[in-house]
Amino acid sequence: MSALAWVGGLAYFAWDWFKVAVTRRPPAGQTLVEAYRIGVQSLPVLLTISVFVGTNLALQGYNAFVPLGGQRLVGMFVAMAGVRELAPLIAAAMIAAKAGTEMASQIAVMRTREQIDALEVMAVNPYWYLVTPRLYAILAVMPALSLIAVFVTVCASYCVAVYQLGLNGPTFLEYARTSTHLRDILTGELKALVFAVIICFVSCYCGFRSEKGPEGVGKATNQAVVLSCILCVSFNYLVSQVLYG
Amino acid sequence: MAEPTDAPVRLVDVHKRFGTLTVLDGVSLDIPRGQTTAIIGPSGTGKSVLLKHIVGLIKPDAGEVSVFGTNMATAPEREVYAVRKRLGMLFQDGALFDSFSTGENIEFPLKQHHAEMSAEQRRARVEEVLAMVELPGLYDRPTPALSGGQRKRVGLARAIVTGPELVLFDEPNSGLDPMTSDAIDALIGHLKETLGITFVVITHDIVGTINVADHIAMLYGGKLVAWGTCAEVTHSEHPIVRRFLGRNLILPAPHDPASARLPSI
Repeated sequence: MSALAWVGGLAYFAWDWFKVAVTRRPPAGQTLVEAYRIGVQSLPVLLTISVFVGTNLALQGYNAFVPLGGQRLVGMFVAMAGVRELAPLIAAAMIAAKAGTEMASQIAVMRTREQIDALEVMAVNPYWYLVTPRLYAILAVMPALSLIAVFVTVCASYCVAVYQLGLNGPTFLEYARTSTHLRDILTGELKALVFAVIICFVSCYCGFRSEKGPEGVGKATNQAVVLSCILCVSFNYLVSQVLYG
Repeated sequence: MAEPTDAPVRLVDVHKRFGTLTVLDGVSLDIPRGQTTAIIGPSGTGKSVLLKHIVGLIKPDAGEVSVFGTNMATAPEREVYAVRKRLGMLFQDGALFDSFSTGENIEFPLKQHHAEMSAEQRRARVEEVLAMVELPGLYDRPTPALSGGQRKRVGLARAIVTGPELVLFDEPNSGLDPMTSDAIDALIGHLKETLGITFVVITHDIVGTINVADHIAMLYGGKLVAWGTCAEVTHSEHPIVRRFLGRNLILPAPHDPASARLPSI
């Protein structure tokens, strides 16, 4: 019942934001700051994780296909699992962990310090001022981050497959290329956009409804990352089911 | 519907409960225009809740809160925001944005609502109010580097930068040492004389209140137990008022803003 109330509250929050967002232009300067914060500052952690996802994909794919004599298929396995599913999902998890927690904690601290009340009293709608730049920024950078994650994952897999496991490089690339269609890339981008909306609204909502004080900020931050990840994984399945099922 | 009145803020039989706790129990009050009204009372008697009703952050369960003739509980959001553009508020800890510099904090309401002003005009206005709160030249100072007293002054500068008709103070002396507290009271007194606008001060500092207020309203247990001029309330025979004023009734020397001002460090 409380989960249902929470989802209802989230939907109401999104609707409240929508009503104010359609009537005003976003704060441009804030949007650029947020885009830098989400995009550039999340890049190191995203690259690191993507490298190791790629290396493990190649290693596990190789171990799975060797008994069947199908080690040539590692390129195909990496392309299908990495491009369609893992890379966008890993990118979402990283952004939820890095940018989502930042959004939730910043807003929760603002709530604790009465800064959100101050915005209201200064006749500035806090949903417009705090959510809009974050949403537009994450929507702008998330597809790019997802593409970068895909590219780095495949590159890292290639390096492990060719230089560590001794597979033929052109064969790996040929299998990867023929298994990857434009549709897969576009699906990854669509997922990235869906994940961006989920991460932003969930994180901001957790911040806005946080209890005051350090404990409230901690709870809001924790909730933001956990619920964002759960919803992203659930929606990932839903999108995959609709497009590939 | 309340009778039309000159009072910029009018509360009529306001009731508010949080769960089983009654915070405001039938409070009615007219805040006189162009004067300073202090709302006093012990901690937990609903002073801050009353202030949040005035700015429309909390809606009453029953009764009417009217600011500049607009019912803050029932008016559409656009009208509530229009009222808020005519008032300023100093929050307990200043509620400054730490990612902004001191000047950017003060400039914020101008940027939001005065698009007709150029960057130079905004800067000049900010420098002007910084001088009014006795912090000249602090435009570029990072907000986290400000002391508690400076944060209050910067919060006050932000509250008055747009030239509001009504300024609300939520515990302007809380967390300050006695000397800084006196300096803040002196500053409020000075602004009251120079700006001539309506001030509402929420406080439990009775000495500071007598220094700055024209009228005092005392809340106790969610009810308004005393209302009148400073002299009327401080000489009230109401037992709760007497108990609250108690040891604070050693009245301070006649108010001289200049003597209460701290020299710049």
